[in-house]
Amino acid sequence: MINRIGLATLVCVFLSPIAASAQVTTKIANPDISFIGDFRAWYTSEGPRNWDMEMHEVESSFRSVIDPFARADIFIGMGHNDGEFEFELEEAYLTTLSLPYQLQAKVGKFRSNVGKINRLHPHALPFIDVPAVYANFFGDEGLNDQGASVNWLVPNRRFYQELSFEVTRGPGESESFTRSDGNHMLYTSHLKNFWDLSDNASLEFGLSGLAGPNAVGYTTTIVGLDATYKWKPLQFNTFKSLTLQFEAFQSRKDMGSSMITANGMYALINYQLAQRWFLSGRFDHADLPDNPDWNEKAVSTTLGWYLSEYQKIEIGGRTSWGPDLDQSYQALLGMVFVIGTHGAHEY
Amino acid sequence: MKTVIRLKYLVMALAIGLLATPATAQKKLNVVTTLTDLQQITEQIGGDKVEVISIATGYQNPHFVDPKPSHILKLAKADLFISTGLDLTNGWAPSLLASSRNSKIQAGSPGFVDTSIGVPLLNVPSSVSREQGDIHVFGNPHYWLDPAIGHIIAQNIYNGLIKLQPANQAYFAANLKTFNETLDTKMAGWKAKMKPFNGTKIVAYHDQWPYFETAFGLDIVAFLEPKPGIPPSPAQLAKVMDTMSKDGISVIVMSPYEKADAANLVARKVGGSVLTLATSVGAFKEVKTYFDVFDYNVNLIVAAFQKASH
Repeated sequence: MINRIGLATLVCVFLSPIAASAQVTTKIANPDISFIGDFRAWYTSEGPRNWDMEMHEVESSFRSVIDPFARADIFIGMGHNDGEFEFELEEAYLTTLSLPYQLQAKVGKFRSNVGKINRLHPHALPFIDVPAVYANFFGDEGLNDQGASVNWLVPNRRFYQELSFEVTRGPGESESFTRSDGNHMLYTSHLKNFWDLSDNASLEFGLSGLAGPNAVGYTTTIVGLDATYKWKPLQFNTFKSLTLQFEAFQSRKDMGSSMITANGMYALINYQLAQRWFLSGRFDHADLPDNPDWNEKAVSTTLGWYLSEYQKIEIGGRTSWGPDLDQSYQALLGMVFVIGTHGAHEY
Repeated sequence: MKTVIRLKYLVMALAIGLLATPATAQKKLNVVTTLTDLQQITEQIGGDKVEVISIATGYQNPHFVDPKPSHILKLAKADLFISTGLDLTNGWAPSLLASSRNSKIQAGSPGFVDTSIGVPLLNVPSSVSREQGDIHVFGNPHYWLDPAIGHIIAQNIYNGLIKLQPANQAYFAANLKTFNETLDTKMAGWKAKMKPFNGTKIVAYHDQWPYFETAFGLDIVAFLEPKPGIPPSPAQLAKVMDTMSKDGISVIVMSPYEKADAANLVARKVGGSVLTLATSVGAFKEVKTYFDVFDYNVNLIVAAFQKASH
């Protein structure tokens, strides 16, 4: 009996470190894998059904260095579409690590590098709903297409400057662009400028330009500017922060015989009240790219509570109105959770 | 004729000068480190052959550094990147490296140094689950807080430097020797000061002191955080107060980047004191070198223990 207990103890003592090291080895051999769940519930003052809820999306990501020359990032989403769940390849791209002259190239399917928030996944935004200008100009999920991108870290000694240029095939579904039957591609470019104002504050200013085929066979061009001020005291960066952000876009849609000009903007303030609490407020104003007479204004606010680094609960309220819109009200609840390895988001 | 000869010598001297310049005045190595401790040790070993900057400051939480574009700019120009390895900086260092466009400093390249190589790690978990809070898969990564491990860190940094500048091996070796000797002398002093308090029980805010605890014979019996990375809860604070009163514990240690409210509350209730220790070089103005980290902490702790025993 004593021997059996002794043996069991020995097995336990020796198995634990083996199990741990096996786990570590598995972690090293596999890509970083994570799953992000995004559940939403809402009330809207419009329509016959005012209350609803959905498991909005489960996003899985697989990320790893391929070899000394490149890395790969793959994001697969399983999202809600009219009551059915559908798999969607959200992003899958290869990024080079070793091009000369401070160049970096990317090929695959990716979120276009335009504006400040288009590259961010919705769960990383400090609000539940996307700004109206993004939804109206690029779609609820933002602009995402297949092609190639090259960006250049400008050898500027005084501040950070990055210039990017992308050629993509033309998105299947987007409010402004479409896939052309001919050889017409979508071209996007972005210039990012970043200054450290002090150890605790920074300023970013960006310019975007887009040109691509529209649904009537001509070209739509969009220009945009983005500005972000961030205050985040280094010593207590997990406790306090403030972000002020502004973005504006102008779209010019060539209809052949006429030109439609549409504008859109949002302004955002996001304040970290305490280690786990964030409060944001946003003002939206956006036309539709093919109908400038229609426009929407909205004010929204979101309170975010981070239970840990891996789970957040957000509640928000939004009211929108416009010349052809009755004023409507929405209340939103969002829950986002992460399992697995999830790296940092862009600053 | 004389003029011709003079000219010939002049040309020769110029040619020798031109040839000799790159060897004698070799370009300084641009080094970027994740932490200020690694920066400071690199400066001691690299001397005037290196230019070193750290991404994290000494007074911020090394887990939560925001990867800013300005950091990418520094990494793009670096010859050598020195990191603590393990998963201390996993939240930000890999994304900065990937954006650096600098193949010289990627993991596996000669310009990448992981100072955890050969470090005897503490608190290696037998299972990995976030139920336990922010756990570290490979073991506790705050290993630079044991001065004896400073020798291993320095050796790893030396190995990285001689790979890139083999011509300066003797210079780096001499600096490494001086560093190691100073550290040994200092260590004897710190140990002597701490000896009367061997085995003294204390409380810590976050589980980041196991190496410091082991090096100086302390006994950390409780944490203000109920689980690593989870903010102190009223229930946990009550439990800690109970432990402190029962065991006669008078000292709570914390870091400059943690909020003192919870620690102060507990200390007030049980009549103890809160010590904000230096977690890295630059934590406070007077903590300028790796040795200063331990000078500062040992002096603070010894003074608190002496006060408590009177």
